[in-house]
Amino acid sequence: MSVRDLLSPFTAWKNLFRDPVTIIDPLNDRPGAPRYRGFHQNDMDKCIGCGTCETICQNGAIDMLPVGGIETKQGDSGLRPRIDYGRCCWCALCVDVCMTKSLTMSNAYTWVESDPDAFRFTPGVDKKHWDNAELGYHRPEEHQLMAKVRLPMGEMEPETRIESFAEIVNGYTIEQARLEADRCVSCGLCIATCPAHMSVPDYIAAVRDGDYERGVKLLYETNPFSGICGSVCTHKCETTCAARHDGDPIAIRWLKRHIMDQVTFEQCRDIVGGPGPATGKKVAIIGAGPAGLTAAFDLAKLGHSVTVYEALDKPGGMTRWGIPEYRLPYARIDQDIDVIRSVGVDIRCNVRIGKDITLDELHNTHDAVLLALGLQLGRATRIPGSEHENVRKAVDLLRQATAFEDFGTPRQAVVIGGGNVAMDIARTIARLQKKEYGQVQVTLTALEDLAHFLADPDEIKEAGEEGVVILDARGPQQVVIENGQVTGLKTWHVKAIFDEQGRFAPSYDETDEQMHTGSMVVEAIGQMTDASLLGDALTEKLAWSRGRLQVDAGGRTSEPWLWASGDMVRGPDVVSAVADGHRVAQSIHEVIAVTEQAK
Amino acid sequence: MTQIDDGMAHGIERLRGKTTVQEILEVATGFEASARDFYTDLIPKVSKQIRYLVEELAAEEQSHFDLFDSLAKRADIVEQVKIEIERTASDSKFSDCLHLPNLGEHPDDQAVLQYAMGREHAAMQHYGELAETAPAGPIRELFQYLASEETKHKLELEKIYYATIHRGGGV
Repeated sequence: MSVRDLLSPFTAWKNLFRDPVTIIDPLNDRPGAPRYRGFHQNDMDKCIGCGTCETICQNGAIDMLPVGGIETKQGDSGLRPRIDYGRCCWCALCVDVCMTKSLTMSNAYTWVESDPDAFRFTPGVDKKHWDNAELGYHRPEEHQLMAKVRLPMGEMEPETRIESFAEIVNGYTIEQARLEADRCVSCGLCIATCPAHMSVPDYIAAVRDGDYERGVKLLYETNPFSGICGSVCTHKCETTCAARHDGDPIAIRWLKRHIMDQVTFEQCRDIVGGPGPATGKKVAIIGAGPAGLTAAFDLAKLGHSVTVYEALDKPGGMTRWGIPEYRLPYARIDQDIDVIRSVGVDIRCNVRIGKDITLDELHNTHDAVLLALGLQLGRATRIPGSEHENVRKAVDLLRQATAFEDFGTPRQAVVIGGGNVAMDIARTIARLQKKEYGQVQVTLTALEDLAHFLADPDEIKEAGEEGVVILDARGPQQVVIENGQVTGLKTWHVKAIFDEQGRFAPSYDETDEQMHTGSMVVEAIGQMTDASLLGDALTEKLAWSRGRLQVDAGGRTSEPWLWASGDMVRGPDVVSAVADGHRVAQSIHEVIAVTEQAK
Repeated sequence: MTQIDDGMAHGIERLRGKTTVQEILEVATGFEASARDFYTDLIPKVSKQIRYLVEELAAEEQSHFDLFDSLAKRADIVEQVKIEIERTASDSKFSDCLHLPNLGEHPDDQAVLQYAMGREHAAMQHYGELAETAPAGPIRELFQYLASEETKHKLELEKIYYATIHRGGGV
């Protein structure tokens, strides 16, 4: 044995003076890299439960589950992702696709548990030590799986469209529609928001696949006014679209319109099919608007004999008589109604109930009667001077314009109101002025400030582009009459429109008075139903609830043979009227089917 | 045609020159009673569709009447009812409201609401000004309270008015 052999074990002592290569406390002293894809975090304030994380996960590691304390509401499914770390491969696709950027990954990677089930957890709900970790993987801006910007809808230039009543928008081409459809993540939040619960993700998928017949079939499952809604729906669905959290919402309304644009009437008719097997039951419907005709469609498909009575000379209700053709071409209304006729609905126009036929007659000759009246009467401001003959109501003028009647286009007009009806009449008069006088001179005044206008933002923008002068926060005080002629409208500035509880209660600044010149003042404020056809006796007999007919959930009134639906019961909106039509048709069907069984 | 309640005409007469708290309370009580009776008479004349509105107004006026009735019996008020205070600028407008209008055979909701708002506005101004001129103490507090009550009622009616007339409907 050499001396070296004897001493060499002692040379190891020199390592006592080196830095250690092992980690003394590996659970705490070795953090993950700053962008490490570690355990998930979910910001409960941002998560909307859209489920795109679940859909994209290739390992089936994510399940959307209800969570106590989180309610389902508009735009939030109430579900939250639960992650199974027995399956997760840490790819972070779920983070990259998250529509609200609520889902992220911390850089934490150590987690010791004796219970294997603990590794299925709901981030953000099951509290963990990495919940507030700032480091980890967050979706970088450039990792955008979905296009943020919606495909713009082509439309006529203002100077062209003001020359006529031709439809403004062009509709998507097939290529545009597919690109827009590709932005949809099929989360389905829109279904709950749509009053008719249309199967939006499925019909958008049909657009993506180019299968328009499937698309039409899906549309007609819930909405026989799909052509009309494709043009003028209030598209509440888009307000809860997951895409709006990081870009534009999907153009759901335009995709619906696109489907309807790709099929002919004959295709629609064949897809919808004919009436159901005859039941021998008869239903009378008063009013050929969206609610009445939707109920008629459903009831005819169920085999009942349905007759719709309409006081005006064409069906469609306020969609025809209240919406100008540049927004909704009459041909589109006709096509939707012809499909409804094709299932056996008998529509009789120019029949006024109470004059041509009594309600009693309908009651005696039918198994059920449905009132589906619109809000066809305009409210008046009743300010001084408003009784003048040149102070007109917007709904009356729109009806006359639809019937191509000359209501005496004013050279200068003042419109009162900030809703879609106000925009419609202002833009209608603008077109008529352009044709007759070569220039537009319409002033629109509204109580609300621009941020609180009831009109669709597109309507406001387009009205402005067409030369309508929009003055917000102006309260009408007096129609000025000189030498028997209307010369304008006096308004005061509105200081505030809502009270501390958020209820509508305008207050005025009387020192800020303005005069708006015009030879006609058009009132476009609230609307109401003309329920005079009920007659005094039935009006007395029926139960009312704060000015509206009292109905049950199915639309049945206190008189067992009479139902009511649509604007007169629920308030205005085409797609809500469609939803109401379905509800009431189901109720009528259940009642008359029971009557049949009882016999 | 305008109707004037006989009892109210007497009250108007008494509201000339300087006035006492007692007289003001009597006129105000009559003001509420006449309104209650006016709305009550109107109930069968309006369509059932809007009858709830007139019924609610009648009930509201009855509650005002009851309020005045109970106030007049309060010991601290009884002690001071002889106090004389200056007539206010809004006196005449308030007195005008004692003249009951003819809203026609079958008035609609807008006509009823406009009338009701006008009444509440006059009452609010009247009590507000009385509160400013009355001597400090329970009488001033009384008028302040009444002015605040009438203001609340007026605002409530305005909200109903705008919700019904200006914001109902649309396409």
